[in-house]
Amino acid sequence: MRSMLIGTLVAAACAAWLTAPAHAHHGAANLYDMSKPVVMKGTLTRFEWTNPHNQIYFDVADERGRVVHWVVATEPPQVMLERGWTRKSLPIGEQVTLYVFVAKNGAPVGNLQKIVLPDGTELLAGPASAPAVGAPATR
Amino acid sequence: MHRILVGAAIALAVGVPGARARAQQGAPLGSASGRPPSSSAVADLSGDWEPDRSRGGFGQSLSVSDMGGRRRGAEDDIPYQPWARERTLAERPSTGPNPFFGDTTDPQVLYCEPPGVPHIYLWPIKTKFVQTPEAVYVLYELGPSYRIVWLNSRHPDDPDPQWWGHSIGWYENGDTLVVDTVGFNDKTWLDQMGHPHTDRLHLVERYRRVDPNTLELDLTIDDPGAYTRPWSSHRNFTRSRTGFLRYQQICSVRENQQFFESLGKPAIGAPAR
Repeated sequence: MRSMLIGTLVAAACAAWLTAPAHAHHGAANLYDMSKPVVMKGTLTRFEWTNPHNQIYFDVADERGRVVHWVVATEPPQVMLERGWTRKSLPIGEQVTLYVFVAKNGAPVGNLQKIVLPDGTELLAGPASAPAVGAPATR
Repeated sequence: MHRILVGAAIALAVGVPGARARAQQGAPLGSASGRPPSSSAVADLSGDWEPDRSRGGFGQSLSVSDMGGRRRGAEDDIPYQPWARERTLAERPSTGPNPFFGDTTDPQVLYCEPPGVPHIYLWPIKTKFVQTPEAVYVLYELGPSYRIVWLNSRHPDDPDPQWWGHSIGWYENGDTLVVDTVGFNDKTWLDQMGHPHTDRLHLVERYRRVDPNTLELDLTIDDPGAYTRPWSSHRNFTRSRTGFLRYQQICSVRENQQFFESLGKPAIGAPAR
């Protein structure tokens, strides 16, 4: 299997929504490379819908075919609800495409920016996906 | 010296006379008085309020000149006493331009202690006011937590130091709620950047409903134990329609530790692969 790490740089034109770091209160800015998201295809294994930040676990095969276990974070449920997510948003067991700010030291951890589901649905993790003021409230 | 005197005079004009005048009204201490909340029209603070991203957002620092916290300890609008500046510089914030992940000294992140006020307004959370004739209950998504602002009441003569202090309030001009708080403990930070305070802190908050979608908060921080004169800050809020407390934003030391083990620890140190 070819490397599933299919790209590293996303065009600057796409960067507008890649601005807000998840776990803003847990010191990620120094640890993750916020300048260039890495694009990966991986198989979802677990979705922790929890404080202080959601955690998404997935497996990626490296160039030698070895499986690397990744985990990435989003904002907490309270914030992600406002962005249209629920605890059932991710199809566990399916292969998806993930856009991630990864750890500078190369550890398989990072900060999710966007995920593309098998049917092409895009789930944005950044603030640009928040509903506009005036949108109907959902409680 | 002139600036100190002017600052003190402004602070007195803003809050203290009002507090004293209301204290002299002799309402029951920290309890429902059963009387109308104020001679002034009640300001309508209804709605869910979130930091206004178009006007500063939640920021990192109470310093108006350095909201991002990039000049921590050297802001020109924070009149530090020497020890307070040293303490600020010795703290290790969990956010801002130079955040610490695993070894922060931020007591809210480290111990899940209440952030207190005004620190809580530096979090990306919503605030809701529940207004009754006797009190205004201020609800926060983080915690979730709340504080009580007693209307037509007075402070205890010697309040026990507590996390949220003792708050009294009154309405002004039909659009403003003034909250006067004393009786803080000294365990919280004023903001995300580690600015300290003592149990001598006297905080005056002025919440003004500018229009149906805008709430502004003027703060006066008067702490003779940490700062050489009263100083001011400002926060902007916009009305949120995304729902209040749809998920309980509870701080759990156990969940924080698990998060650090999963996401933080692997990213610290030498290359892992």
